[in-house]
Amino acid sequence: MTDPTFRAGFDATLETAINSALRYDPGTRARLDKLAGKVLAVALSAPKMNLFLVIEDERIEVHSRWGGEVTTELQGSAIAFLQLLKNRDATPAKLGVTVRGSSAFLAELQSILRDLDIDWEEPLSKLVGDSPAHQIGLGVRAAAGWLKDALGKAPGAAAEAVSEEWQVTPPQAQFEAFAEDVSELVQGVDRLEARIAHLRQRLNQRGTD
Amino acid sequence: MTERKTTHFGYQQVPVEEKAGRVADVFHSVAARYDVMNDLMSGGIHRLWKRFTIELSAARPGQTILDIAGGTGDLTARFSRIVGPAGKVVLADINASMLKVGRDRLLDRGIAGNVETVQADAQYLPFPDNTFDCITIAFGLRNVTDKDLALRSMLRVLKPGGRLLVLEFSKPESKLLEKVYDQYSFRLLPFMGKLVANDAESYRYLAESIRMHPDQQTLKDMMGEAGFVDCEFHNMTGGIVALHKGIKP
Repeated sequence: MTDPTFRAGFDATLETAINSALRYDPGTRARLDKLAGKVLAVALSAPKMNLFLVIEDERIEVHSRWGGEVTTELQGSAIAFLQLLKNRDATPAKLGVTVRGSSAFLAELQSILRDLDIDWEEPLSKLVGDSPAHQIGLGVRAAAGWLKDALGKAPGAAAEAVSEEWQVTPPQAQFEAFAEDVSELVQGVDRLEARIAHLRQRLNQRGTD
Repeated sequence: MTERKTTHFGYQQVPVEEKAGRVADVFHSVAARYDVMNDLMSGGIHRLWKRFTIELSAARPGQTILDIAGGTGDLTARFSRIVGPAGKVVLADINASMLKVGRDRLLDRGIAGNVETVQADAQYLPFPDNTFDCITIAFGLRNVTDKDLALRSMLRVLKPGGRLLVLEFSKPESKLLEKVYDQYSFRLLPFMGKLVANDAESYRYLAESIRMHPDQQTLKDMMGEAGFVDCEFHNMTGGIVALHKGIKP
């Protein structure tokens, strides 16, 4: 059996990621509150793992075991499950995910998790502090710049062959969507940078007062 | 002349009636910085060990739970949310300083209503028979003078079918890990204790008391002898810590 410490670490990290996002999204939290007490059981086939998402007040708890009642049960691979959470057009049937129990609860939870508008600035700086958050931001900005260049320079035909024929890279549309996500993140980092500059200015002012 | 009965206090032998007082002194001394030190000593992993304990407790709304040696109230806070307004959590600790820190911390976090704090000795629990659905004792059993007596006392206050969970430092599974862990416990730990809590001696006691605590199999056998059934243990972080579970028949 795997050391339970690792599993507890995974559950804790996932729970923190979800609830950090919820913390800055009161609208979604209110929607979640209406689902309080409901439980989604996820039986992953690859990797083999059981996961229980328990809705409690305005937060989601992640458990590795659950002895109580389950509202909806899903069975499928981790990739299919992630697709279900991320992709607006994804349905359990299309992805080969088996559903037992309330599909209405699944649809609502799916919509909540998809719509989560994550404000990166606050949670990031809360987790790692303002300065490291800024450093991480710089790294992300550099990566985003490289992505933009790569998109601009990629020769069309070769890209199409690599993407469509060999399927070793994502299609252009998917790549662009990803770049757009990164761009959004960059804007978030810009806001964070501006905030740090503002705080620094205020600190300096306080120093000279 | 009759010889005085002795027991271990870390690596020292002390008269049985003195151990509780000495342990009390250690915890009076570390209470204020207990949480900071726990995080420092374990690199925050103690939260994961406690998380797994909660998972195995299978606590449900409406249940009554006893958190023995609950100290600063980590487990109690989580249980309070799980059992809800219809349930109850009793935070018990023999040490008044630890209990005070725990109670204040819970109140500061707005956790009240379904929580009671009781200063109690694990060997003589002041509750009626068959009271609790679940009992937890996290990092507390090794400090108890008579562990058999404490296990029997816990069995008495558990409801039939109720579960006891003992989270405690134990014996690392690998020899290599044991060596590293020894270096860490006897060199680094007292040093950190001195640095953060200005109390190297108390932290030396903590390291020694861990080594004197029964290993995984011995504790499992002790639980069986006390009357628990379906006893099992889960090693965590290579056996540095073990979680034992037993059910009251």
